[in-house]
Amino acid sequence: MAQPLTKTELDGALYARPSGVEAQIDEATQLPRPDLRARLLIVDRDDPGYLRHECLVHLVRQGRRSGDQGLMSAVLPVLLGRCDANLLVKVPDGGMPDAASLRQEILDELTELFVVDGSGTCPDELDFYECKFNKAFRALRIDAVRREERRRRREGVMVDLPPSEAMGQPEAYEDAFARVSEAFRVLPTQEWDVFRDPFVKAIEALPPDEREAVILVHVLGYKEESEDIDEETAATRCNCTGRTIRNRLTRAAAKLSRFKEDL
Amino acid sequence: MSQTVNAGPGALREAFYALSIAQEVPDAELLDEIVRQYPQYGNELTEFAIAIAVDALRGDRAVEAAEAAIDPTLVSPAVSRAMSHFQNRLHAVTTGTGATQAMTAPAKVADAPNPFLGLPRSEFRALAERLNANTVFIGKLRDRQIDPKTMAPSFQKRIADELRAPLEVVVAHFVARQTVLAGQFYKTEGKPSTGTQQTFEEAVRSSGLSDAQQRSLLEL
Repeated sequence: MAQPLTKTELDGALYARPSGVEAQIDEATQLPRPDLRARLLIVDRDDPGYLRHECLVHLVRQGRRSGDQGLMSAVLPVLLGRCDANLLVKVPDGGMPDAASLRQEILDELTELFVVDGSGTCPDELDFYECKFNKAFRALRIDAVRREERRRRREGVMVDLPPSEAMGQPEAYEDAFARVSEAFRVLPTQEWDVFRDPFVKAIEALPPDEREAVILVHVLGYKEESEDIDEETAATRCNCTGRTIRNRLTRAAAKLSRFKEDL
Repeated sequence: MSQTVNAGPGALREAFYALSIAQEVPDAELLDEIVRQYPQYGNELTEFAIAIAVDALRGDRAVEAAEAAIDPTLVSPAVSRAMSHFQNRLHAVTTGTGATQAMTAPAKVADAPNPFLGLPRSEFRALAERLNANTVFIGKLRDRQIDPKTMAPSFQKRIADELRAPLEVVVAHFVARQTVLAGQFYKTEGKPSTGTQQTFEEAVRSSGLSDAQQRSLLEL
């Protein structure tokens, strides 16, 4: 039985690893080192011998706690290799300036979590990664990307991205937002895959205030505004009036309308 | 805008994790709940939830395909650098040593002190910017991934000046063999080799630098 996690959820309950992860950890920790190395070479997720990311995190933490350099050196590069592959997709060259450096910083930041594991103000941060690695790593990545974007804005560095095909083609708005909401419900289907890139580019090409309004209302499900002053709405989340939200939605709709046929 | 991640004691990052882990795409109910727990970060959490939603739109199929295509017998340069970073930091934490100690250590040894070791992240980045390079390239300098014979003396002098370290310390760092710390992660199996060093020009060309940055470095 693996050492229980100590991180607590919002309701105070302890985070728990999925049962499949627990079982895999129990098995992996008993493996002779050569067998473990062989298992680490498996990259096919459907192979029964494939070790999940969460299991790898546990093994590295175990190595860190016990001072087992061999275990850390065997497992951590495999985990980082998967993260590197992830980042090459999620933070691609050309997606933002100097993406290679940012990817490196994210990898370094992940390794730092292992270095400080068990100490500091958040000694159990890696518990998140033993529960749901991909979602935890998503948080780390998105946080790093947003910090980098803020830094560049502060320093006045212009982000020179390729112009979006969606820009400058306002067409008549019909039901673009219904299709936005639908897009989030149906993902990820093969049909959706066909339209993913142009649609995402169109969303990302929206000015930030318009994008916020679209996502808050049509994806997260907020009302535009409410007469109930205690109710959170897109307007309260954006610190503006309901009319401003509606204006932003109208402008965004025109830009997104080209997808009404595609989606 | 309230506090940032760097300014906070980790609470905001905890909130980011909670938001990301709870659902594939957050909804209003979840965001409201988390903002109630972390009211000082309402703006950041709202922006973060939006970023998650846009990210989720891209899906994970491409990531899964990329991970399935990994050659498990090879370790990429980025992973090698991350492992080097990990080992350096682990060493510093477990022994209580840091950059200043390394800077004053004797220079002419096989595992010469690494003047890049322990540079704070901000200074690492600032060094890259002063050199009109990026952190990938600086990482190669740190990890001795560049054949020193292909580096111009003027370049090494510039690095020493930027690091405010004695030139002999910097030169000793570059000429010292790649240690196990830096080299062992090029292959998951087998003995580390120093044959993986790049020439200076190769290192410049393969660090994701713009044409202008490459020209600038090659002229140093």
